[in-house]
Amino acid sequence: MGATFVITLREAFEAALILGIVYTYLERIGARDGYRYVTLGGALGLLVSVGMGVGVGFLSGPLLDWGPDVVGVTVIFVAVVLVTWHAWWMRQHARAIRGQVQQRVDAARAARRLWVVGLIAFTGVFREGAETVLFLWGLTTQATSTSGWMNVLGGVAGVAAAAVLGWAIFHGGKQLSLSRFFSATTVFLMLLAAGLFSTGVGRFQGLGLLPMGAPLWDTSFLLSDQSVVGSFLTGLVGYRARPSAWEVAAYAGYLLLAVRLFWGPATGGRPQRSAVSAG
Amino acid sequence: MSRPAGLIAGLVAGAGLLAGSTLPAAAQTEIVLTIENNRFHPEEITVKAAAPFMLVISNRDKAPEEFEIQDLRIEKVIPAGKTVRVRVPALKPGTYRFVGEYHERTAKGSILAE
Repeated sequence: MGATFVITLREAFEAALILGIVYTYLERIGARDGYRYVTLGGALGLLVSVGMGVGVGFLSGPLLDWGPDVVGVTVIFVAVVLVTWHAWWMRQHARAIRGQVQQRVDAARAARRLWVVGLIAFTGVFREGAETVLFLWGLTTQATSTSGWMNVLGGVAGVAAAAVLGWAIFHGGKQLSLSRFFSATTVFLMLLAAGLFSTGVGRFQGLGLLPMGAPLWDTSFLLSDQSVVGSFLTGLVGYRARPSAWEVAAYAGYLLLAVRLFWGPATGGRPQRSAVSAG
Repeated sequence: MSRPAGLIAGLVAGAGLLAGSTLPAAAQTEIVLTIENNRFHPEEITVKAAAPFMLVISNRDKAPEEFEIQDLRIEKVIPAGKTVRVRVPALKPGTYRFVGEYHERTAKGSILAE
């Protein structure tokens, strides 16, 4: 029961975090009417996850060999773009707020890109969603004994615990000062996206589209990515105990670009105008 | 619904072409792996180093499994009753552990490349 709890908690935690952050974001910019975009995106993500979990059983041949990978990798890179875009926006807000008394960013301007927030919710849920559905489904089909059903219970409880954590983040996020919330989430989303990007590049290696070299280093003696803490960090910030050169390059490259984009001098002079033109 | 379905079909077709272009048509060693009662059979595989091969994994259980070779970043979902082919690149000599992520306690094994 404990093992299945940890697995689904880990899979659902990232989604819960992302949902928590985007709900809080909307609350903080005074765009509560945008909640429904997030709810809709999240619900669609769940629906498509179930659909894919069921649908994959009808595939066979090359479609089964490659289809789920293509969908999985596509979702990863789409999520990188969306999260980067969102983090960039948060950063612009943080700049706009600094030195101003006003606590709210122009909601009307934000409303124009609420669908992006909905898409983020969708990819956040869908990314690990299909796997979680398959896992839970498998547990159910194998639940022929009391311990089997305890495993199912553990799995469901893991998803529920992740949802509670997401809710806690929503409430915690409301307590922070606005600029601190934006700054903290910008940094977190940047690390999340860096991890996603390097995961995507790792998947390319796994698919044979990039060569797989020896790991650049090995920190499994400090923190194995198979351990509970390690595997959570893998999902959240892309921790790898034995990263490949490609993964390290992808992670560092993304961070370099993101830091320039979010904190670099290039956009510093006119955050408002560039923010508007991007919307 | 038809547009996303078309998009996915297109992506899959694209990946198929991509895979086709990177996969040499030359005969590749095939190694059969079976999943039964949440275990792999065989649990130990020996292969030649420096030669790519194909794992043909059949899941005879009623539950799906996710096959994973962590060090090679390979992960494939194998639905109940299905067979999935996984291409493994040329390996350096060594041991590579694999697991069934959904049943990590029982579903595990290793590939020895020598």
